[in-house]
Amino acid sequence: MIAALHRTPSVTIPTTLALGLLASWLAGTPIGILAPFGALFLHARGYLLQSLWAGLLVAFAAAIVAALLYPGAVRETALSIAALVLVAACIGALIARDPTGHSNPAGPARRQAPGHPGAFGAVPGEAADSAIHPDDRPAIAQAAAYAFWTGVPQVMSYRLRQPDGSYCWTELRAEPGYGVSVDVDAMVSRPGDRWTVAESLGETAQAVAAAKVIESLHGKAWAFDAMGKFTYVTPAAQIAIDMALEDLNRRLDEREFIDGGEVGWMRGVHPDDVDGAASTLRHCLKTGEPWNIEYRMLRATGQYVWHRISARPTRDGEGRITGWFGTSIDIDVYKKTEAALRGREQQLELLIDTVPAMIWSMTADGHPAYLNKRIMEVTGATLDTVTAADGSLSLKKMIHPNFLDLAEKTFAKSVTTGTPYNIKYLQHRADGTYRWTETRAEALRDETGKVLRWYGVSVDIHDLITTQTELNFRKQELTRLVDLVPSHIWRLTPSGEPNFYNRRFIDFLGLDEAGLETPATEQYAAALKAAIHPEDADRLWAELKHCLLSGQPFAMRYRLRRHDGVYRWMDGRAEPLRDEDGSIIQWYGLSHDIDDQLRVEEALRESERSLRQLVETLPALIYCAAPNGEPIYRSEKLREFLGFGLGDKDEDGRTRLTGTLEAIIHPDDLPDVREKYGRSLATGSSYAMKHRLRRADGEYRWVETRTAAMRNVEGEIVQWNGICFEIEDQVRAQEALTLAQERLARAAQAASLAELSASIAHEVNQPLAAVVANSHACQRWLTSDPPNLERAQKTVERIIRDANSAADVVGRVRALFRQTAQARNPCQLDTILHEARDLMTEEATRRRMRIEVDVEAGLPPLELDQIQIQQVLVNLIRNGMEAMEPSQRRVLRIQSRRVRDLVRTEVRDTGQGLGAPEKVFEPFFSTKPNGMGMGLAISRTIIETHGGRLWAENNQDDGATFIFTLPVEATADHDR
Amino acid sequence: MIVDDTIVFIVDDDEALREALGELLAANGVRSVPFKSAGDYIDASKPDLPACLLLDVELPDINGLELQRQIAQGDHPPIVFITGHGDIPSSVRAIKHGAVDFLTKPFSDTALLEAIHSAIVQDRETRAKRAELALLRQRYDELSPREREVLPLVVSGLLNKQAAAELGIREVTLQIHRRNVMQKMAASSLADLVRIAERLEIPIQHSRRMGGT
Repeated sequence: MIAALHRTPSVTIPTTLALGLLASWLAGTPIGILAPFGALFLHARGYLLQSLWAGLLVAFAAAIVAALLYPGAVRETALSIAALVLVAACIGALIARDPTGHSNPAGPARRQAPGHPGAFGAVPGEAADSAIHPDDRPAIAQAAAYAFWTGVPQVMSYRLRQPDGSYCWTELRAEPGYGVSVDVDAMVSRPGDRWTVAESLGETAQAVAAAKVIESLHGKAWAFDAMGKFTYVTPAAQIAIDMALEDLNRRLDEREFIDGGEVGWMRGVHPDDVDGAASTLRHCLKTGEPWNIEYRMLRATGQYVWHRISARPTRDGEGRITGWFGTSIDIDVYKKTEAALRGREQQLELLIDTVPAMIWSMTADGHPAYLNKRIMEVTGATLDTVTAADGSLSLKKMIHPNFLDLAEKTFAKSVTTGTPYNIKYLQHRADGTYRWTETRAEALRDETGKVLRWYGVSVDIHDLITTQTELNFRKQELTRLVDLVPSHIWRLTPSGEPNFYNRRFIDFLGLDEAGLETPATEQYAAALKAAIHPEDADRLWAELKHCLLSGQPFAMRYRLRRHDGVYRWMDGRAEPLRDEDGSIIQWYGLSHDIDDQLRVEEALRESERSLRQLVETLPALIYCAAPNGEPIYRSEKLREFLGFGLGDKDEDGRTRLTGTLEAIIHPDDLPDVREKYGRSLATGSSYAMKHRLRRADGEYRWVETRTAAMRNVEGEIVQWNGICFEIEDQVRAQEALTLAQERLARAAQAASLAELSASIAHEVNQPLAAVVANSHACQRWLTSDPPNLERAQKTVERIIRDANSAADVVGRVRALFRQTAQARNPCQLDTILHEARDLMTEEATRRRMRIEVDVEAGLPPLELDQIQIQQVLVNLIRNGMEAMEPSQRRVLRIQSRRVRDLVRTEVRDTGQGLGAPEKVFEPFFSTKPNGMGMGLAISRTIIETHGGRLWAENNQDDGATFIFTLPVEATADHDR
Repeated sequence: MIVDDTIVFIVDDDEALREALGELLAANGVRSVPFKSAGDYIDASKPDLPACLLLDVELPDINGLELQRQIAQGDHPPIVFITGHGDIPSSVRAIKHGAVDFLTKPFSDTALLEAIHSAIVQDRETRAKRAELALLRQRYDELSPREREVLPLVVSGLLNKQAAAELGIREVTLQIHRRNVMQKMAASSLADLVRIAERLEIPIQHSRRMGGT
């Protein structure tokens, strides 16, 4: 485009002029005018340029003159115009300054910074009109454009006009990016440069002719004879290396070149290359093989430049080599480019090899193409190991068997479809381990989209994966822990909004799982608000608010409604988590369900309270003692009873037990209590005893104490528990009861004879009364007028009947006594005697009498009716006592002795004695005012039925003695 | 001494004795009704005649003495106790509580008949007195309220003048009332009226002496 611009100056000038005028007019200053001036200077040449300079000079002069002549506004305008003209002249001078107008030979090689494409357009473009040979211009412009647009390096040769007007060949080499430049100064031909041609071409004429052909084609050519002696070298080349033919062929030692001698041209070869070049040339000269060699040539500028030298022999008709011709191509730029490229490639390879990533590439059809050094080091794989026999990729040695299938599938799919792939797998490592690796691959495509190559990178993500796995595991563990902990765990924001509940809490509240999709905070807050017991709500919010404001830990008990509607007691606690500044980030809370515990506690408290109350209020005296017997507790009643507490009787040198026992137990009972209590403590057996206990007022009261050991599960005694009943009243009542019972028994036994006789009397009297009444009636019927015989007869029949009935009664009474004989058992008479005595003791005491019993030891047991004999005794005792009533001496003496086969018992009183000792045994005989007179008669009957005898005797001194005998071997007389 | 308009109630648990007693009384022309227990006697409807209750002390349900105590409140025939084996305290107690006699079995017919006779006489007198008193009460009930006021004052021995002043009426009026009272109560004289008032247990409210003050 720029080239195009340069080719059309006629368009440029008017355009810039118009734009300049427009700009000047718009800006209100004549600065814009400078632009068309610039354009004019750019294109003006020769005469036009000179007239432009002259015009400017005239304008400047006129403006100065005007400024001098006219003062005021005109002067100012004139001065500004003069300044403008001056500026325009300066611009013109800058633009019009011809690059070739200076002596700098490198003028046209205004080397731009490498990689600046604009330079390619500007350099030749600028020089195009003035310095470049018109024939070269189009080619240069085209090359420049091509270089600019494609970035492909160009080597351009063109003829540059010299200040003297002649043209000189100049080469410009430039390529983007690589910064390789070749100094071409040495190749610029100058007049007077020395170059020669051999005086005689000899046999090489043909070769020279060929060289000249080549010269016309390639610019540089030469020819030498079969011995290697130059006959022709392109003058430009001679100039460039500053060696004429003489210099080239000069023999430097005795030998010919072909014999190993050195010649002049070898001085121009780089020392490193000279031997190689020389030997190759010698070899070719001898064999006639074409010559192709690259070496560095020393140029006139003193620089070595790479050249590629090619030579072919010319032969005569017989095939003998007549000469050689060849060309020398300057390949310096290629060599250098190649070196630079190689360096770059090495750098790249180094880069790829040193990048801490495993990089590889594959062909479009998936065959391994490249592995970077790292991948080989790390995995131990080489191209060979990853390449299957058919050239395709084999991952067997690279990938853990578990992932092989997946990897191969993924890979195959990517190769088929061309999509990038990314897999994570366990990669086999050189040391035999497997490590997590992530591999990504993408296809490089050409402009048609066809896959050219696959490039992949594998990154070791083992640590990442393991860390992540570990983290995931820990997170899961933590989550599980948080969810499984049998407590409610929650979290609050610093403002008190709940933002986390653990699983248990959610379950407890019965929060909807699906509902949790909505903002959890709101739902949590709502659920919590709804679940708190209304009675606790105010308290709880107040406390929470206080804690949130103050940052103090939260701890409270409250009721929370479970999903089933039941309120449960909770023990909630929360503590803030703070950052380094001490400001609160979160509140972490925990709440336990303590409902059951509370209930149990409550029940326990209640039970303990009621038990204590029970113990304290029981109308019993309760105490507890340590396993060693030391008192440790006394119930209130006991404290009240004793009038002192647990430790009140403590004294030095004595145990509390000793002190207590001495203080409270009746001295008479103390030894017994000590002994029994001591035995219980020693053996662990229960203890029960009745003794007297000292009451607070000093009175001793009868108590019954029972103590038992309380044992733990191992069976060890942990405590003694005791209870103490006050049995004073009971003892008294018992005494009274016993007394009453004894009296009753006594009365019953004593009364039995009297009652028996009364009963007999009644039984007999009844029919007798009827007999009497009937007799009177009969008499009445008979004595009436006229006598009522019929009624009298009937009455007599009744009389007979009733009289028989009376006789039956008597018979029944006798049968009664006979029957009792069957109930006889062997009895100890002394026992019966003592019992009878006991029965009558109270009566004796009341009558202020004494009963003495004297029984011979070793009396044999007797067959007798215990009750009947006892009745006899009671009867005799009472008789005796009644007899003694008026006496002074009141001793009733009972004596029992064995006399042969009889036991003789005497009841001796000290009474009045008997008037008629035998008469007292007659029925209904009584000396007493209300006596029935039956007792002794019955007694005699009883004794006689036992086969004994009963009689009475008056004593020598005073009173009487009733004596009865009983046979040792009972022979009951049933016939009587 | 055959008396047709009298009756003897026999209460004894012994059937033989009941029969014998009934026979003996029948032979002597005395009607009798036997009962085998106190309960039977209480429950039975008895003729309204001068009567005697022949009561055994030992009875199967309640003791004869207990029955005496129970019926003591109402009008009942005089009691003659009979017993198989009488003791002094029982007999004393029975007589104290108004028993006519206390006979111990076996007893002679004369003792029995005498006791029954005296009991019937006593009952007859009691019945007559009861009838007379009932008549007097009936008469007294026929008095007007004013006359009932006048009666105690008159029988107290107050003069007409004093009695009138006491009631705040004129002496003439009082005399009319007094005549009416005498008439209605069938009193032949003031002394008769005083006796009637005594029987009716009308209290004497004012003595003449008190009235004079």
